[in-house]
Amino acid sequence: MPRSSRRSSGQSTPTNIGSPPSKPLFPTVSLRSSPPSSHSALSDPPKSARTSLMNVLTRPRPVTSISTTTALSIDGSPLTPEDEFFSDQSTISSYASSVMSGMSSRQASSEELAKLYKDYLVKPFVNTKSTIKHSEFGHDNNPNWRWTSQWNPNEPIHVAEEPQPAYTVLLMTYVSYIILIVFGHMRDFLGKRFYPANYAHLQPHNGYAALNSDFDSFYTRRLKKRLDDCFSRPTTGVAGRTIVCYDRVSNDEHDTFQMTGTTTRALNVSSYNYLGFASSTGGCADAAEQAIRKYGISGAGTRHDASTLDLHKQCEGLVARFVGGESAMVVSMGYATNSTTLPALVNKGCLVISDEFNHASIRFGVRLSGASTRVFKHNDMTALESLLRECISQGQPRTHRPWKKILVVVEGLYSMEGSLVNLPKMLELKRRYKFYLYLDEAHSVGAMGPNGRGVCDYFGIDPREVDILMGTFTKSFGASGGYISGSKELIDRLRLRSHATTYAESMTPPVLAQIIASMSSIMGVAPPLAAPVQDESDTLSIVSRPAAYGPAPSGALPAWMNLPTVLLNGTEGRERLRRLAFNSRYLSSGLRKLGFIVYGHRDSPIIPLLVYHPAKMRLFSNCMLHRIGADKTPIVVVVVAYPATPLITSRVRFCLSASHTKNDIDLLLRACDEVGDLLDLKYATQTMSVEEVIANAEELVAANF
Amino acid sequence: MSDVPLRSQSSTTEIPTPLLPLLSILSSAFLFVQDRFRRIPGSPIIVRYIQSSYQDDPYRSLLEVLLLAFALRTLLKGRTREEGSGKNFIKLTEKEIDDLVDEWQPVPLIDAPGEIDEETLDSIPTIYGPNGIKIKLSPGGKPVLNMATPNWTGMMENEKMKEVAITTLRSYGVGTCGPAGFYGYLDVHMRFEAEVAAFLGVEACIMYSQGFAAISSVIPAFAKRGDIIVADRGVNFAIQKGLQISRSQIRFYAHGDMKDLERVLQQVEREQKRKGSKLTKKFIVAEGVFENDGMMLDLPKVCELKKKYKYRLILDETQSFGMIGKHGRGVTEFYNFPAKEVDMIVGSMATSLATGGGFCAGSEVVCQHQRINSSASVFSASLPALLATASSTAVSLLQSNPSLLTSLATNIAAFRHHLSKIEPVSIPEQDSNSSPSSQANKDAIIHVPSHPSSALIHIFLLNPPDTMEAEERLLQEVVDELLSTSGVLITRARRLRGQEQFEPEPSLKVCISGAMSKKDVEKAAQGLRSALIKVAGKKR
Ligand SMILES: Cc1ncc(COP(=O)(O)O)c(C=O)c1O
Repeated sequence: MPRSSRRSSGQSTPTNIGSPPSKPLFPTVSLRSSPPSSHSALSDPPKSARTSLMNVLTRPRPVTSISTTTALSIDGSPLTPEDEFFSDQSTISSYASSVMSGMSSRQASSEELAKLYKDYLVKPFVNTKSTIKHSEFGHDNNPNWRWTSQWNPNEPIHVAEEPQPAYTVLLMTYVSYIILIVFGHMRDFLGKRFYPANYAHLQPHNGYAALNSDFDSFYTRRLKKRLDDCFSRPTTGVAGRTIVCYDRVSNDEHDTFQMTGTTTRALNVSSYNYLGFASSTGGCADAAEQAIRKYGISGAGTRHDASTLDLHKQCEGLVARFVGGESAMVVSMGYATNSTTLPALVNKGCLVISDEFNHASIRFGVRLSGASTRVFKHNDMTALESLLRECISQGQPRTHRPWKKILVVVEGLYSMEGSLVNLPKMLELKRRYKFYLYLDEAHSVGAMGPNGRGVCDYFGIDPREVDILMGTFTKSFGASGGYISGSKELIDRLRLRSHATTYAESMTPPVLAQIIASMSSIMGVAPPLAAPVQDESDTLSIVSRPAAYGPAPSGALPAWMNLPTVLLNGTEGRERLRRLAFNSRYLSSGLRKLGFIVYGHRDSPIIPLLVYHPAKMRLFSNCMLHRIGADKTPIVVVVVAYPATPLITSRVRFCLSASHTKNDIDLLLRACDEVGDLLDLKYATQTMSVEEVIANAEELVAANF
Repeated sequence: MSDVPLRSQSSTTEIPTPLLPLLSILSSAFLFVQDRFRRIPGSPIIVRYIQSSYQDDPYRSLLEVLLLAFALRTLLKGRTREEGSGKNFIKLTEKEIDDLVDEWQPVPLIDAPGEIDEETLDSIPTIYGPNGIKIKLSPGGKPVLNMATPNWTGMMENEKMKEVAITTLRSYGVGTCGPAGFYGYLDVHMRFEAEVAAFLGVEACIMYSQGFAAISSVIPAFAKRGDIIVADRGVNFAIQKGLQISRSQIRFYAHGDMKDLERVLQQVEREQKRKGSKLTKKFIVAEGVFENDGMMLDLPKVCELKKKYKYRLILDETQSFGMIGKHGRGVTEFYNFPAKEVDMIVGSMATSLATGGGFCAGSEVVCQHQRINSSASVFSASLPALLATASSTAVSLLQSNPSLLTSLATNIAAFRHHLSKIEPVSIPEQDSNSSPSSQANKDAIIHVPSHPSSALIHIFLLNPPDTMEAEERLLQEVVDELLSTSGVLITRARRLRGQEQFEPEPSLKVCISGAMSKKDVEKAAQGLRSALIKVAGKKR
């Protein structure tokens, strides 16, 4: 079987990053090319524990080296059986696909399929010893279904031109909107005359202007409401690999919904649970429980008064280490992290240059700051450069005084597009134009990069080159809140100037524990080393190189937190990173081969599938929930339309997770194939059938295209 | 595959072949025009304007189009000589731009730290172990009494809430991994919303994942450009940010002064009449108990005025929810006033309920509007489930245990009694306009404007030093003195100097809790009194 070069260990990695590297290449690179064999590590006694841990962390686990992993349990004792489920080499999940493909060749009866998939979402195909529920985190032990998320310079960061559907599709989309708008106005016209009571709250009454006039709410009432059964579906339980939705019906055209009292468990490709840490069981949940018992649940009070716990400081220390910044601070809400920090960074006389697709929280923060704003076309570095040249040369409007400072705000991974920022080019521009860079890694932290540290890790760039690193814990870490990281000076100043530290509530202990546990399991925790070697010549030393994305020092964890060995030694974290990377690339490539128009980078776990027609969005969402094929496993998807996207590019957005098994992705591909044929969504040319895609998953993932 | 309605949908795209080239030309032209148009700044405004004017009067629209064409022609004539964006644009050669780029030096990303900054950072206490009534400020240190964290009814250390949180954790995990619109809307959120609505006696409620973000997002969800907001001058920082971002026309009235409020309302009315402008949304924004000084809003009077002048009231009960009233329903309960009369009540679960997050309660229409239009609700992950269920538990505790609030009242009274020996008895109630000095005792060195029912007590110096820095420093000395002599932690009110709308006077902030023992409270008050006399008294 052709094996990608990236999957084999110890191979060379992208070398040329941006223009002339002023410093020795980024440490991770050298780490990767260090001899991976565990024997050489052991031959060097003083550093053995650390080095071999590093190997585990940086190198995809070779199929035959289970013993290395086992040797690494912190206390030297062999792993307990429950830790061992990762070492099971069976290809259980492929079982289902092979059954499926075997059956489809002889036209499997729907009963057979239905039987096979009856308990699909909750019961793994074979017994496992894991304590984590299959419904929250799927068991998938095939080591071939792993990938390393890392920049491959041979693949463009952005496709030169976004794929476009036929003009008829666009035209029909416009026609659909025109019909919707015309009908909407007609209904309003008639409705106001025949059912005035329904419009009362939209009209001025009794001397009060309407809170929400019929004119302002036209879009919401006449267009969005038609889709309302796809939004805000109430759920219960963990948003893990599967999610339980309450069934509801509406008898009044989505004015109100009635619960039917039943629930549906569906495959969840909608939540931002990239690494599958949203879980009610397992080490992270245990840590959160311990935290509640020890600290309570309160985040009452502000950080500056008396609500800074030792736990906050420990968490901040760990976050700084994780992202490779010097210092960090945490805020109790991701949205507020942007909206309360940006005003502390820039003010009148400063210029903020913002990507057109930046998140609402960034726009909120920039508007509060009073700085001038310019917007550049999404990810268009040429447009950014010419804008920079114009702004710097023209200075402030009217007075032509030079700008005090220029802050460029971009996201690492865009939540609606799945596109990555062109960080190497961005830093090149930064050196030339001397702006400051604010990087929102809400979606990319944890989800991108060989070590899960975000886009800097992905591109092999020293994170200290970025002035302000921001991210949230809502996504990959299964917690809530956000962080800001940067130089110590900067963070100290922000602690004093940011609105959140002075006036907003602090983060609560269970959330802090969840962050610490999930983050340290991605990093791995170094066993207590005899005095860390502070050797200047040792360029690989984790201790002297925080940017090297090494493991967390054991002192970074609270003493009371007992994490299981698989979390501490980083195997599970690494496993999750590899699974997520495989799933993302697989689905993204597969959908393209099936002829769908898919945006974004293939390494991105966010995969938008373009639908265009407003009516098809709702149909798509409902056909995924109430499947039309033989297999009826429900799937919940997110549909996004204007105003979150441009008017015509309505889309379905998949968010993949490490908790999905390959078989889940197969299932999703089949479902998309069914619905895609039915709704005529394959706007590009189909080059492979769905069974071909599934059979060639590994080749697709490894291929460059 | 035999779903009939679906089939018909897919066939809409089938178009006779001869038409295709024509259609494609048409659509590409349309696309081009649309794309260009969208690039014009403000184009959505134009679209909206045209649409609305067409609704009102089609003939006028026609006239306007003609006028616009004329205006454009004139403009274009003038523009041809001048390129680039804006008439202020200076044409430069590439070389010149390069030089300018080389020359340009940005100021550092952050300003140099001020003197007081370092001190402020150093003065932030770190708590080792759990937060609560008794806390440790160093590992293994002596426990001190915490009077700096809002914990009005002692929910912070409630065992029942912890149990509920753990049970929830075991079926929901921690994070919700998505905003409410995208599968983040849990049954426990719905339950909490319904419970708060029932508790307050309003129709509906919506949750936010942070108290601070709630109010600063609720205001701009309703108030837009062109609307009018009349706000108290003393409103907290989160409200100020909400006001700022709404881009509405904002008028302030003197803090707590109902006469001034009426004056402002009349003035707005006059102006509107004079301009003959069309009916806009008008809001009054105030706090139940003001975060900046603990004063209470005269709710009945405000409601009377709001009705008279047709305003809507946005009431921030971040501090007062769970602190005021027989069951802690806030100022509405205190004044025995139906909460329905207040259009939007915004509260926080992080203060009195000792969990996290915020909420806005009001009518069904008000809450539904926010689910779609309030930025912090739409674009942010929902609150972790365990915080929602713990909050639910806290609300039911409030509902079933009025004693929580009576013991709080006792403690407040005890504290104020012991402190009153050095404070003038100035109780801002209905006739709050009498100045404190009129009844001041001559030894007074402090002034406490906070309402007698408020567990949040702000203490202001009567004869402060000349500069604010000196005053802050003096207050910090009091805090340190109190901590070292009596083992009581209070804090000076932290401010974002330079970012506030109206710089609040420096003050000391004391949070009373009903869970403190009476003896502790008395001891703390005595300790504070001697610290104040020792530090601030000698300066006079
Ligand atoms: C880029 C970006 N920043 C910030 C946020 C806000 O994070 P949170 O949901 O934790 O409030 C999001 C969430 O959707 C985001 O996509």
